[in-house]
Amino acid sequence: MIREQKRRSALWFFLSSILLWSCGGQQERRPEEAADVLSMPWEAIEQQARGSTVNLMMWQGDPLINAYMEQYVKPAVKERFGINLRIAGGQGSIIVQALLAELQAGRPNSELDLMWINGETFYQLRQIGALFGPWTDKLPNARYIDFENPFIGQDFQQPADGFECPWGNVQMAIIYDSLKAPAPPQDRAELLAFVRRHPGCFTFDNHFTGLTFLKILLMDIAGGPQVLAGPFDEEKYRRYAPLLWDYIRELKPYLWKQGNAFPEAVAPMHQMFANGELWFTMSNNDSEVDNKVLQGLFPESARAYVWEVGTIQNSHYMGIARNAANKAAAMVVANFLISPEAQHRKQDPAVWGDGTVLSMEKLPPEWQEKFRKLPGRRHAPPREQMQARALPELAPEYMIRLAADFRKEILGQ
Amino acid sequence: MAKRLLKYAFIALLLVPFGFLLMLSLGRGWAYPEVFPRQWTLENWHFVWGAQAGLGRSTLLSLAISLGIAAPVTLAGFWVSKHIAYSRRRRFWLVLAYLPYVLAPAVLAACLQAFFFRAELSGKVWGVVLAQLFITFPYGVIFFSGFWNEQMRAMEQLAATLGGRPRQAYARVLIPVGRGALMTCFFQIFLISWFEYGLTMLIGVGKVQTLTLKVFQYVGEANIFFAALTGCLLVLPPLVLLWLNKRYVFARAGAR
Amino acid sequence: MFIALAVLPLLLGLGYAMAYSLGLVGLLSEGFTLAHWEEVLGSAFFWRTMAFSAWVSVVTTVLAVGVALGFVAAWPRVFLRGSLSLFIYFPLAIPAIVMAFIVFQMLSAGGLVSRLAYQLGLISGLEQFPGLVNDYWGIGIIAAHFLMAAPFFIIFFANLYENEQVEEFVQLARTLGAGARQAALRVAAPLLLRRAFPTIVLYGLFVMGAYEAPLLLGRQSNQMVSVLAIQKLQRFNLGDIPQAYVACIAYSAIVLSLAVWLLGRNGEERLKYQGSGGRGKKV
Repeated sequence: MIREQKRRSALWFFLSSILLWSCGGQQERRPEEAADVLSMPWEAIEQQARGSTVNLMMWQGDPLINAYMEQYVKPAVKERFGINLRIAGGQGSIIVQALLAELQAGRPNSELDLMWINGETFYQLRQIGALFGPWTDKLPNARYIDFENPFIGQDFQQPADGFECPWGNVQMAIIYDSLKAPAPPQDRAELLAFVRRHPGCFTFDNHFTGLTFLKILLMDIAGGPQVLAGPFDEEKYRRYAPLLWDYIRELKPYLWKQGNAFPEAVAPMHQMFANGELWFTMSNNDSEVDNKVLQGLFPESARAYVWEVGTIQNSHYMGIARNAANKAAAMVVANFLISPEAQHRKQDPAVWGDGTVLSMEKLPPEWQEKFRKLPGRRHAPPREQMQARALPELAPEYMIRLAADFRKEILGQ
Repeated sequence: MAKRLLKYAFIALLLVPFGFLLMLSLGRGWAYPEVFPRQWTLENWHFVWGAQAGLGRSTLLSLAISLGIAAPVTLAGFWVSKHIAYSRRRRFWLVLAYLPYVLAPAVLAACLQAFFFRAELSGKVWGVVLAQLFITFPYGVIFFSGFWNEQMRAMEQLAATLGGRPRQAYARVLIPVGRGALMTCFFQIFLISWFEYGLTMLIGVGKVQTLTLKVFQYVGEANIFFAALTGCLLVLPPLVLLWLNKRYVFARAGAR
Repeated sequence: MFIALAVLPLLLGLGYAMAYSLGLVGLLSEGFTLAHWEEVLGSAFFWRTMAFSAWVSVVTTVLAVGVALGFVAAWPRVFLRGSLSLFIYFPLAIPAIVMAFIVFQMLSAGGLVSRLAYQLGLISGLEQFPGLVNDYWGIGIIAAHFLMAAPFFIIFFANLYENEQVEEFVQLARTLGAGARQAALRVAAPLLLRRAFPTIVLYGLFVMGAYEAPLLLGRQSNQMVSVLAIQKLQRFNLGDIPQAYVACIAYSAIVLSLAVWLLGRNGEERLKYQGSGGRGKKV
């Protein structure tokens, strides 16, 4: 009996000591040893990068994107810079969770080097101090990037500040079936009238894309993007958000499933659009409609368009982990990703169709010519036309608040 | 005759999901109200094979991890569950074994992640194996907890009375009797490990690239043809293993 | 002691979750607080989530166990020998997320079943097809889990049937004058159920904590507990993470005590049964 008790208390002691050990990591912050990479000339960075491995974490849900990375980027960085690029699938929350756990455990070397991020992931990673930087001005190809362009230099109203390197630029588009809806609604009032006539054919998802749609409506209700520009403004949010919820409540009975359910992500929404249950879907990437028609998922009659009030345009970026083991190599890879060659290839609709972050004026004339000659899209309006209706992203707190309040006001959680 | 027909109907029913997956994986364009895709093509398969390099290597890694876990865990579960089943504190231990299943897997992974990072096990195959042991081992124990009864005990005692050593009792009596259960458990644990995504992702930080990890993101994405194809890719190896296993066991059972 | 090896990490995990939920750990924590606990336990939605999870779990398990018992009692041998003994394993090889995908593509308004109904002239458009996924009662979720659970229980019961020599008892009952139906209902089924009880409870818990199928096939107003927890853990607000841990611990505590109670009751019954049956017990 006593032996049993002893054993048990030993067990508890062991348990609690391990627990303490695992939580205690936060205190040991390592000094920034990164400074030396940033003070090196580019040739030395390339030299140091040779022979090392870069672990890149990115979303891997689209075979076109995967093919671009696996068949083009990976062999290219291996051949030209001697870098082994290892790609792991994972996005937003997984990246944040992994880096958060590493920091909490006080790990000196991160498992990740380079991450594909934007918006709220960037915001959260800055919040927990998980990003290395500023490093983007070291990249030779950064001179072609138009950082002055707010759609590129600003990520959800936060300056990138050199902590992430722009990689691609996209604009949200609403996708519709031109056979079923030859004249799609162009604004809030028309949408309401449309769903009243055709109940059940429209919805938005309970994730990024749907939240982007809510942000667009909020901007429209507030009277334009300039009203909500800049840092989060509690007072303005409180003034305009209730009007948004009133509008959604008006819309709700005519939405898919009478607005009692929303697709959890954009993927099931695309599937229901493909099989005809929905007449509309939406995408944060304006060229997705062409890809999906090409893959045989969407009907030929699928079209993307942008409301007259505009849609949000934003960029996505590459970030480097603060404790990345191979910062030099990660920078070399990032530099390759923003080279005119890699960006040109990426913008080809048959390859990926991702908009470039390079400024045409800054590029050498022969590259300007090549970009101009890229084939256009068949199912989405030309980029220049969409650009005229581009809205900036709002500060990330707007999205966080909208997500929480959408649950409270509309879903009744 | 009717019973035979019923049996074939039942088998057909069991095969419907697989046929459906295969059909979509070979299709393009599936508009309402067509029952079959507009176009049949191998293009999807070509495409995924090209876009995801190293699928073959990932399959081997997955097989190694899953087999490496399923075999020892099944045997250990068998052995440990016996001791638990016959112990005085049977219920206490059993409840503890339930613990991993009351936590949602993703949350369990998030909780454990901190420890793995601290122990420098993250991003390594061994870390992933260890993490998977945490969830498969209790499963094995619970699985066999219903197996041990007075009869098994009597058989074991009989073997001992007849002069058999404990090892012989296992080899000659307990394991042959439990063959069906052992096989089911082995297969279940193999599957748990094979399809494990959350833990493998978080503990392996995406570096331990099992087949599931490599193609999993397609399943949840918009393209139903790729999702179906991924389903086929994931399901095929376990089916082959099952067939081999069954055949082998049948051959043995028939010889007896 | 061996099991401590398996249980230890989980206790550690729970301890970590507990510390996180109380604000003791976490990069953004501001020291000890009970606020997260009050927030979660005080919300009606959390309890609704618990109830809905229990509903899905119980319905799925009862349906699957019932169907499997029926099949095994009717044809005990079919699943152990011959081609069915191979094919019955096949559905086990389908992971939850793929099963969710299949059910969605079959039962949604634009899915396969709706198309067949259209071709047969039963409906004249997909809007007439009843909402079987993303529905109020969780039919889609239950269907997906049922398809995975029923074959598992068939295999399990068929093995038990042989191991426990249920056949002998059935024969005995038959010689004592019971009909085939009566023997199956009164003898085979209770015997199998009793032996399978821990596994059934385990499966119920497994369904209750399911994530993938409810995510695709469920709806936000009736959520299952994992979906809620992951939403708090990963969706947008780092400040919500402690709440995710609270939800998990509260859920674990409730479910675990439920399991203890169920297993305990079953244990007593077993003793009684073994005592009256005259089979020596030293458990």
